[in-house]
Amino acid sequence: MSRKQVKGEYIETDTGNKVARKAVLVGTQHIMLGGKTVIQADAMIRGDLARTSQPSSAPGAAPGSTTAVAIGRYCFLSKGCCLRPPGRIYKGSFTYLPLRLGDHVFVGEGTVVQAATIGSHVHIGQNVVIGEFAIIKDYVRVLDGAVVPPNMVIPSFSIVAGQPARVVGEVPEGGHEAFELRELYKTVGNNPQPLPV
Amino acid sequence: MSSSSKRQSAFPRAQSGPKAPVNFSSSITIADSALLTGNHTINISSESVVHPRAKLDSAHGRITIGRRCIVHERTNIGAASADPRPSEARDGVVISDYATVEVGAVIESGGTMIGEGCHVGVGSRVGRGAQLGKHCILTPKTIIPPGEVVPDFTVVYSNGTRRLDKRGVTDLKNKAQARQIEVLRKLIPSNPAKFQP
Repeated sequence: MSRKQVKGEYIETDTGNKVARKAVLVGTQHIMLGGKTVIQADAMIRGDLARTSQPSSAPGAAPGSTTAVAIGRYCFLSKGCCLRPPGRIYKGSFTYLPLRLGDHVFVGEGTVVQAATIGSHVHIGQNVVIGEFAIIKDYVRVLDGAVVPPNMVIPSFSIVAGQPARVVGEVPEGGHEAFELRELYKTVGNNPQPLPV
Repeated sequence: MSSSSKRQSAFPRAQSGPKAPVNFSSSITIADSALLTGNHTINISSESVVHPRAKLDSAHGRITIGRRCIVHERTNIGAASADPRPSEARDGVVISDYATVEVGAVIESGGTMIGEGCHVGVGSRVGRGAQLGKHCILTPKTIIPPGEVVPDFTVVYSNGTRRLDKRGVTDLKNKAQARQIEVLRKLIPSNPAKFQP
């Protein structure tokens, strides 16, 4: 049998995304992956909760404006995490608004993310709950088990933890290199490479 | 690679457990990938919404969901309790009108009652036989022990502290819930026929 017919655990796309076959992607037409993103098994993305009310100024809005979840490059979605767009009453009607993730965002196991925006180089631990419309800036570390309340804005280079989450520290100088996910990206997929020591 | 890994069936696995007898209102929205199992009746009243991958298990008693409820994804309603003793209650879980059960919440079966307008937060667990009063709010990851009685308008935090909700916004909340359901009806393709005999 040819090599082509061997089915791996992951589907690898041309842009380098590695999506587990057991990942649950609902409403795929509203999910944008930037490339080199890993989605592990049982991760769930609710792309079907797309924006319904368009801004009145743009009746013929550009295609792609109904993106529900936008993910940058080198993001890593661990097993059992869940990304869903936040929703609220806006101008008298209920609407879901898009969830945007920057580059090099790590989402831990069992974490539920309902944020509005997550910047680049953000590490979110396991079993974290990110409340609706939270905004997380760049280089933020959210420790395991934290509950980030709705509408919270987390400034850059913070470390947050607790229920409810509070800023407990700062990312030390030079500590930003730990947020790089290029090496982690290579360790999963159909031909996983070991981490360089 | 062994040949067994190539031979996986493309069909979804058969549902675990028996197909539950259901009693749906004609106006509900239930996603195709919701899981309904068990041998007692599952009642869902008018205009309620069941998200994809929500699991309703009536093996340990009847499940009743009121009007205009929202059951989010990955919830487990009617989960088996850790306590093996049989419960004397005939009802498994009763969820009253206008209640919301958030992502990944678990509601154990055995006379469990969720009051009107309650909000069960992300990843919370409501023990067997617990009684939540009207318009209670459980913040994410709250655990309500079995048999606990929570009075009306209580806000329960995940660290165990409580307070009374004196905002008096129940009518507004119910209106917002109705708006949200209107939107969800458009977004979630409903397939009640799949669950009906």
